[in-house]
Amino acid sequence: MEVFLNSEYIKPMPYLLEGLVYTLLITFAGLFFGFIIGAFTGLGRLSKNKFIYGLSSVYVEVIRGTPLLAQILFIYFGLSQLMDINMHKLVAAILAIALNAGAYIAEIVRGAVHSIDKGQMEAGRSIGLTKGQTMRYIIWPQAFKRMIPPLGNQFVISLKDTSLFSAIAVGEMVYKAKTYYATTFTPFETLTMVCVLYLLITIPTSIYLRRVERRLDV
Amino acid sequence: MIQVKDLHKSFGKLEVLKGIDAEIKEKEVVCVIGPSGSGKSTFLRCLNLLEEVTSGEVYVDGESLTDPKIDINSIRSRVGMVFQHFNLFPHMTVLENITLGPRKIKGYTDAQAEAVALPLLEKVGLSDKARVYPESLSGGQKQRVAIARSLAMEPKVMLFDEPTSALDPELVGDVLQVMKDLASEGMTMVVVTHEMGFAKEVGDRVIFMDEGIVMEEGSPNQIFEDPQNSRTQSFLSKVL
Ligand SMILES: Nc1ncnc2c1ncn2[C@@H]1O[C@H](COP(=O)(O)OP(=O)(O)OP(=O)(O)O)[C@@H](O)[C@H]1O
Ligand SMILES: [Mg+2]
Repeated sequence: MEVFLNSEYIKPMPYLLEGLVYTLLITFAGLFFGFIIGAFTGLGRLSKNKFIYGLSSVYVEVIRGTPLLAQILFIYFGLSQLMDINMHKLVAAILAIALNAGAYIAEIVRGAVHSIDKGQMEAGRSIGLTKGQTMRYIIWPQAFKRMIPPLGNQFVISLKDTSLFSAIAVGEMVYKAKTYYATTFTPFETLTMVCVLYLLITIPTSIYLRRVERRLDV
Repeated sequence: MIQVKDLHKSFGKLEVLKGIDAEIKEKEVVCVIGPSGSGKSTFLRCLNLLEEVTSGEVYVDGESLTDPKIDINSIRSRVGMVFQHFNLFPHMTVLENITLGPRKIKGYTDAQAEAVALPLLEKVGLSDKARVYPESLSGGQKQRVAIARSLAMEPKVMLFDEPTSALDPELVGDVLQVMKDLASEGMTMVVVTHEMGFAKEVGDRVIFMDEGIVMEEGSPNQIFEDPQNSRTQSFLSKVL
């Protein structure tokens, strides 16, 4: 026990767990706002209004066509310069995940809403519901169910993406690990534990999602 | 109840309806027959603007559907529509399917809406199915729920687009019976159907459509026993 607790694998844990709190905070907050953005732009991509469609499409294509690291640097340094402010790192991180995941979630939303049978909208409209009411009471609840597996997938992706914030010295898990092994010279042990902590979240999530997916299939 | 004047409908370059004139009087049951692709569904869907009319005029219950100022949702709630594939809302129970319209459009409370829905369920013979989800129903039961859902809005006209053609033959009868009951209560109905027996027995008038126009119309007797148009004759010889 003594040997184990003193091992180089366990010693970085307090730092790593502190980092994990930030990792999770950024992921959840980022995805929360990302979902709002994604819901609007996803529906925007289905809009007949050319302007709304165009705007949503440009956003989705720009985000999906550029690397996340560039987006992070752009938001943290670029926007700060442009608006002449000192953006809080955490704000920049949450904003970056929100904007990045928002574009992918938009595609998830678009796909799910599009997959609902056209007859559902017609049935809603034919009893006299407006388009908005039909969307809200009929299309969205059905589409949302179909979004759950890909949204979970996006959660796993965004969780891992937060490691890129070490580039702007946000105290998430990878950044904590780097600063830790810089003084202890134990990168192997430290990074092994980083991976273990990531896997402890991602593997159960994947298993759970596969189960949800199977249940939705039948 | 419904007047249609020189109705044209195109999908892009494809002209599907080429000038339809028709009138459906109150309490009349009009059956629309014709070969596949002749535009029967499109015609029906123009009557509640599920399809945008290209040109011509449609009056429902005295209001012009082509008037840009029209409140289309209000028209639609007065025109019930029953689809070939039922289009029930799978995430709602049978009861919720039926009460949705009254609750959201008429502003009924749950209790008021149920007071409308439960007698309708009884009328279509499905009182015991109120709390189940559509997936557990047979096709015929689904279609009867769909009819009840439409009726819950107290429509003045009911449009049926091949309501029995997605059903197993042994389930057709129950749905037709519900429609017969409706007809005998004086509901105005437009029914696109391949059920010639129903058209003969229940229809007050039969419209034969082909290639986007009304080729012939008349009483069931006239159309089925003594069709004048050669197209009508050849169509009927195939289906009867
Ligand atoms: N949304 C649409 N876009 C393009 N073409 C369409 C559309 N809806 C229908 N059509 C075309 O219009 C024509 C008439 O279709 P419609 O569904 O009204 O025929 P129908 O008489 O109801 O046939 P069926 O007996 O097979 O149901 C067909 O050629 C069809 O391909
Ligand atoms: Mg049809």
